[in-house]
Amino acid sequence: MVKAMPWRGGFRGVGTGALTGGFLCVFALAACEDPAPDPQAALIAKGREIFFNETFAGNGRTCGTCHRAEENFTLGPAFIATLPADDPLFVAETNPELATLENPVLLRRFGLILENLDGFGDLENVFTQRGIPHTLALPTSVASAQGPRTGWSGDGAPGDGSLRSFATGAVIQHFPKTLNRVSGVDFRLPTDDELDALEAFQLSLGRQEDLALPLPLKGVVAARGQEIFLDNALGKCNACHFNAGANGNPAIFGADAGNLNFNTGVEDLPDQPADLTGERVPPDDGLGTPGDGTFNTPPLVEAADTGPFFHNNSVETIEGTVAFYNGDTFNNSPAGQLISGATGSGINLDATQTEEVAAFLRVINALENIRGAVALLEESAAQKQGPARATLALAGAETDDAIAVLAGADLSLAAVAHLREARRLIKKAARSWFFRKRLTREATEEQRKARGEIVEES
Amino acid sequence: MEPRSIGFAVLAALLWSAPLQAQKTTEQFVPIGQSPGLSGKSTYLGAIEAADSVTQTVTAGGRSVQVTERTRIWLDRSGARQPNVAGSFADLQAGRRVEIKYEDEARRERADWIKVQADAGQ
Repeated sequence: MVKAMPWRGGFRGVGTGALTGGFLCVFALAACEDPAPDPQAALIAKGREIFFNETFAGNGRTCGTCHRAEENFTLGPAFIATLPADDPLFVAETNPELATLENPVLLRRFGLILENLDGFGDLENVFTQRGIPHTLALPTSVASAQGPRTGWSGDGAPGDGSLRSFATGAVIQHFPKTLNRVSGVDFRLPTDDELDALEAFQLSLGRQEDLALPLPLKGVVAARGQEIFLDNALGKCNACHFNAGANGNPAIFGADAGNLNFNTGVEDLPDQPADLTGERVPPDDGLGTPGDGTFNTPPLVEAADTGPFFHNNSVETIEGTVAFYNGDTFNNSPAGQLISGATGSGINLDATQTEEVAAFLRVINALENIRGAVALLEESAAQKQGPARATLALAGAETDDAIAVLAGADLSLAAVAHLREARRLIKKAARSWFFRKRLTREATEEQRKARGEIVEES
Repeated sequence: MEPRSIGFAVLAALLWSAPLQAQKTTEQFVPIGQSPGLSGKSTYLGAIEAADSVTQTVTAGGRSVQVTERTRIWLDRSGARQPNVAGSFADLQAGRRVEIKYEDEARRERADWIKVQADAGQ
C-alpha cells in the first residue's frame, strides 16, 4: 500500500491507497473551489468594460471619454489640457463631419460640452453649453417624487427618463459619426443588456447613502461652517441640500421629495466666463422644451474636487460657489425670492462665514476621498499585480484630491501630513512586487489617521 | 408650527412641480420600437387606422388619441439610412407604422410624442 501524500495541490498516491486519496482530493478540491460568482459584481464589471471601452460604432468616444475615473468621473479644463490632440474628446477638431459637434474653444478653456437640449432642428443656433456632471453617488441623487432626474436639468434621458436610459441619449448626442445621427449608420443604440450593465456600474460609483449631519468635526472653521450650513436662519443650505446631498429636506419638501430642480438665477450671472470669449453661447433655459429655467440640485459632498461649478461651469472655486448665494443674482432669483419670503430674509453671509461653509464642504469632500481611497486600497490587496497597479493609481488620485481640497484652504494640516505619507506609500506599493500588500496596509492606516484628525471617531 | 416652518412649507408648495417628462430631443433619433424602457411596455406600436385633421386625433389600436400643440411628431427614416426629422400631422396617414407615447399612460388620451414610419422618398 502506498501512503497518500499530504494535500499540496495534487495527489501523488497510487495503488490501494488511491481510492482513499481520491476522496481526499475531491474534498480538498471542493474546499479550494472559487466561491460562487456574484451576479451583481459580474454585471458591474461588464458595465465598467462597456463604460470605458464601448464606442457603440460611433466616433470613437466612450462614456469614459468625458467621465474619467481618475478625475472623479468628470473633466475640468486642467485635465483636458493634458490630453493628446487625437483624444476622442476632440473629435470636433479632427473630424470635419463633426466640426460643430463641440465648440473647441469652450471645451478646452472651460470644459463645456455642447448639448441640443431644445432639439436638433437648428444646430447652428439652438444648443446649450454645459459642464460634465460627475456620476458619483447616483443612488442618492436621481430619485424624486416626480420621477428620476438625470443630467443638469433633470431631464437628461430619453425613453422612460431613467438613469438606465440615459446612455441611449448620450450615445445619440455625443457619439455619432456624423450629425445626421442615423441609428445603425452613425452609431448603434445600446442593447437592453448593455443598459442594465451600465446602470449597475454607474450606481456602484462613490457614496451609496447620504451623510447623517452633523458630523463631529475637529476643525473649528469647518465645524462652524457646518453649523451655518444647517442653520435655517443663516446659511439655509440644508433646505435644498439635505445632509449636504442632492435632495430636498424631507421636513420641508416631504418624505419622498428626493432630488429637486430650482431656478437659482445662475443663467443671470454677469460676466460669465464663456461669454467673455465672444463665442456663441445661447441662453440655457433648463428643464423641458421650452425650458422652465430650473436646474437640478447636485450633491455637495463631492463638490469641492469636481469644479468648476453650476451647469455652465461659470464659477471656478468652492468659495465663489458659496458666495454666489449671498449675491443679488441668487437672492433675486425665483428660488432666492421664495427663500426670502419663507424665512424673512435672503441669504446674507459675510466673508468669514462664506469661507467657513466652504471649509465644511472641503472637509466632507476630503472625508469622502479618504473613504474612497481606503476602499480602493482594500480592493487592490485582493488583486493580482497588473489590476492592483491600476486600482492603486485610482487610490492615489483620490488621495491627491483629499490633499488638494484640504491644503487649498489650509485645513486640517495634520491630516494632510498623513495623506502625503499615504500617497508616498501608495506610489511605493505600485512599484513593489514583494511588499505591495504591506505597503498598501500602511497606506490604509495613514488614511485612517488622516480621518482621525478631521473627525472624532465613534 | 413655528413661523419659519410655515414659511418653508409654503416654499415647498410653491416649488412643487408636475411630474417630469423625459427629455424629448434625442428621442427623435431612436427608431420606432426601440425607446428604452418604453417600447413594448407603455407605448403603442402598430399601424394608424385613421387620422382626423379637424379634431387633430389619430386612431390607433382602436383608440383615438389627441395630438396637441405639445405633441412631438417625428418621421422615422432610419430604415432608409436617412436622418429622422420633425414631422407634422399630415404625416399621420392611415396604414403607416407608428409608435405613440402617451402623456398619461393610464388615460392614453393625449400623445406626448409620435414616431411615424416615413414613406419611401420622404
